[in-house]
Amino acid sequence: VSRRAAANLVLAVIAVAGAIVGAILLSKTTIPGDLKTPKIDVAREFAGTDLGDAAAFERLLRWTFIGSQVTLVVVLALYAKHGARYVRDSAAGPIGTGFLLGMLGLAFVWIAQLPFHVVDYWWAHKHDVVEVGWFDFLFGDWLALSAQFLFVCFALLLAMGFARRLARTWWLPAAAAFVALTLLFAYISPLLASGLRDPKGPQLRAEAAEIARKEGVPSIPLKVEEVHEITDAPNAYAFGLGSTRKVVLWDTIVGFPRPQVRVVIAHEYGHQAHHHIIKSVGWTALVLIPTALLVSLLTRRRGGMARPEAVPVALLVFIVLTIVATPLESAASRRFEREADWSALRTTRDPAAMKGLFQRFTSEALADPDPPGWYHALFDDHPSGAERVAMAKAWAAREGVPVP
Amino acid sequence: VVEHPVRITAEEDDLVRPRLGVFFRIVLAIPHYILLNTLGAVAIMLAPFVWIATLFTGIPPAALTDFYRSFLRYTLHVSAYLTYAARPYPPFLGGPGSYPVDVAFPPYERQSRWSVGFRFFLALPAILLTIAHGSGLALGMALGGTLTGIWLLGWFACLARGRMAPGMKDLAVYSAGYGIQAFAYLFLLTGRYPDSDPALYPSAPLPAHPVRMTGLDDAPRRSRMLVFFRLMLSTPHFLWHQLWTIVALVAWVLAWLCALATGRVPWPLHRFLAAYVRYTTHFYAFFYLASNPFPGFVGTAGSYPLDVAIDPPAPQPRWGVLFRVVLVLPALLLVQILMLLQYATAFLSWWAALFTGRQPRGMRNAQAYALRYNAQVWAYGLLLTARYPYSGPGDWAQPKPVAELAPALVSWFTHPELP
Repeated sequence: VSRRAAANLVLAVIAVAGAIVGAILLSKTTIPGDLKTPKIDVAREFAGTDLGDAAAFERLLRWTFIGSQVTLVVVLALYAKHGARYVRDSAAGPIGTGFLLGMLGLAFVWIAQLPFHVVDYWWAHKHDVVEVGWFDFLFGDWLALSAQFLFVCFALLLAMGFARRLARTWWLPAAAAFVALTLLFAYISPLLASGLRDPKGPQLRAEAAEIARKEGVPSIPLKVEEVHEITDAPNAYAFGLGSTRKVVLWDTIVGFPRPQVRVVIAHEYGHQAHHHIIKSVGWTALVLIPTALLVSLLTRRRGGMARPEAVPVALLVFIVLTIVATPLESAASRRFEREADWSALRTTRDPAAMKGLFQRFTSEALADPDPPGWYHALFDDHPSGAERVAMAKAWAAREGVPVP
Repeated sequence: VVEHPVRITAEEDDLVRPRLGVFFRIVLAIPHYILLNTLGAVAIMLAPFVWIATLFTGIPPAALTDFYRSFLRYTLHVSAYLTYAARPYPPFLGGPGSYPVDVAFPPYERQSRWSVGFRFFLALPAILLTIAHGSGLALGMALGGTLTGIWLLGWFACLARGRMAPGMKDLAVYSAGYGIQAFAYLFLLTGRYPDSDPALYPSAPLPAHPVRMTGLDDAPRRSRMLVFFRLMLSTPHFLWHQLWTIVALVAWVLAWLCALATGRVPWPLHRFLAAYVRYTTHFYAFFYLASNPFPGFVGTAGSYPLDVAIDPPAPQPRWGVLFRVVLVLPALLLVQILMLLQYATAFLSWWAALFTGRQPRGMRNAQAYALRYNAQVWAYGLLLTARYPYSGPGDWAQPKPVAELAPALVSWFTHPELP
C-alpha cells in the first residue's frame, strides 16, 4: 500500500468517524429515553374524522410522489446519456455551457414532472385543500421556476469554478461553500419573507409571549402569514437564525380553538428553543459533503466537473444521492418534530388539545394519521398523527395528567 | 432570396423636404384620409364576396382585384407621404408609376383553394407584424409601430434640417411595403406570403460605420428545447445584464469625463464598454431568437454567430461628447419603437422554430437589422463612436463610403465637416 493510499485511508476513517460523531451530536434529544408510547387504535382515537377520505386522499399523492421520483431518475439518466449533445448549442465557454446544460436538465425534469403536478393539483382541488385556480397553478409559479434556473446556474458556477481551479479536490471547498450558503439563506430568509403581519388581538400576542418565555426564547416574535386565498390547509413554521428567528402561523390555523393554537405556537417555539434549524443545516452538511465527493468521482469519466459535458451526469448523481439520503433526512426531521411536540406538551401541559389538533389536521387537511410503514419510514418528515397522539398520551401518563 | 411578386419600388431622391409642407403634412393629408377610409370600408365589405368567388373559381374576380390593387397602391402612396419617404403630394388613386414610392402587383394568378379557404387565419401572423410596423398609419389606425415613430421623428428631423434622414426613409419604405404585401395576401391579390426580410425592399447601401453587424450568414437551425425554454434560459442573462448595465453606466460617466477632457475615450474604458455592447447584442440575439446558441457572459468578440465589430477609439468632437445624452434621445426613441417589431418577430419566430426547428430567414434578418441599429445606438450613447446610428435596414451586401451618404439626423453637430 502506497503512502498516499494509506494517507487517504486515514483521512477517510477520520471523516467517517467525524460524520458519526456529528450525527450522534445532532441526534441528541430532550425526549426521555425511557418513554414508552402506547399503541394507538387509530379508528377509536380519530373517531369523528373521515379516516377513509384522508387515507384515500394521501394514497394517490403517495403514488404520484413515487411516480414523479422514478420519472425524475429515468429522465435524468437519459439526459446524462444524451445531454452532452447540447454543448453544440452553446457559444458560452465552459462554465456558461454548464449553465445551459444544467438549466436544460431542470427543464426536462420540469416537463417530465408536470403531469404529476397536474394530477396532484387536481386531486387537492377536488378535495378543497387548495384554493388557487388552474390559471394560477399553471402560470403562477414561473417566477419560482426562474429562481430555480438561477439557483442551478449559481450552484454550477461554484462547482465548476472550484473544479477549474482545484481539479480533483474541488468538492471539499464547493461543499463548504454550499453549507455556508445554506447557513446564510437560513439567516436571511426571514428578512426576505413578505406578507407577514403581527397577530391581531392582544390576547394571542400575550399568550405567544408567555409561551416563548416558558420555552426560553422570549425575544423571538410571532407573525401571521395570509394564505387563505391559496389554501385552506392549516400550517405553521419556524425559521431564521440568531437575530432573524421567527415563528409564523398561517392565518388558516389562527381560527382553531385557542388551546390548539397554543400547542401549535409552543411546538414552533420548541423548534427554536432546541436549535433545530442550525441542526438541520448540520444534517445538510453531513449529506452534502459525501454527495459532492461522489459527484466528483462519478463525473471523472466525462472529464470532471470542469467540463460542461459532465453536468448532466452530475445532475443525475446529485438527484439519486438526494433521493437515497431522503430516509436519513426524513428520520432526522421526524426526530426534531417529536422533540418539538414534547416541548409543546411540557409548555402547555395540555395533551387533550394536542390530540384535538391532530384530529383536526386529519379532518381539515386530510392528513392520513396512519400511513403505510414503508412510506412513512422512507419519506415522511413528520411523525404520523397516530404517533403524535401516542406521544400526548405517554406524556399525560408520565406527568399524571388525565389521559385524553 | 426570391423576389416577392408584390414588388415595392422607391425612386432615389435628394431627400429634400420643404419645411412648410412638412409642418402641415398631417393636415394636408386629411382629404386622403377621408378617401382612404371610405375605400377601406368598401374593401372590408367586399372582402367576403372576393373570398367566396375565389374559393369557387380559384382566381379572384378581375374587377374587384383591380379595386384592391388601386386601394393598396393608394395606401402606400399616402403612407410614404405621411412618413416623408416621398416628397410630392400623392395623387388621389394614382396609377402605377405615379408616385416615387410605388408597388407593382403580379398578374392575376390561380391560387390554392386550401390557401384561400384559410386565408384569414393564415394571414394573422402577418397582420401581427403589420401592427408592429404601424401599417395602419395611412388609415389613421396605427397607435404605435415603426411608421408612427418615423412620422413623429421624421417631422422634427425634416423641420430642423429640411431633409429626411436616408435611413428613416428606407425604414419607412420597408415598414409600409411589408404592410402592402400583407394586405395583398389577405385580399387574395397574391398567394405568396409576405416577406419580412428587409433586404427585399428598396434601400440604400449600408454606410460604412464603426459599429457593424457580422455573422449574417448564420445557419437558420434552432434547437427546439432551447426555443421552448428560451425565456427561462435567458434568466441568468437578464440578471447578469442588469448588473453589467450598472457597472457600464459608471464606466460611461468616467468615459464621458475623459472624452470631454482629452477628446477621446481611454482604451480600457472603450474596451469595457465595447464588450458590454457586444454582450448586449449576443444576449438580445439569443433572447429574440435571431441566433441559436446560448451566449457567453463576457461579450468576447467573435464568440457568437451574430456579432458586432466595433472599431478602436477615435478622436471625438467635444461638443458632441458634451451633448451626447441629448443627441442620442431620438435614436433611443427609435430603438424603443423597433422593440415592438422585435417582440412581434420573436413571438412568431418562437412558434415557427418550435414546429420547424428553423428560424424563418426574413424574420431573422429583420431581427438582425434591429440588433444592428440597437448596437449602433448604444455604441453612440456610450461614446464608442461619434458616428450617429444609421436607422435604415440597408443593403448590407454593399457597404458604401461615408462621404457619399446624406448626413444623418444630427451629424452636422458631431461631424461638422460633412455637408
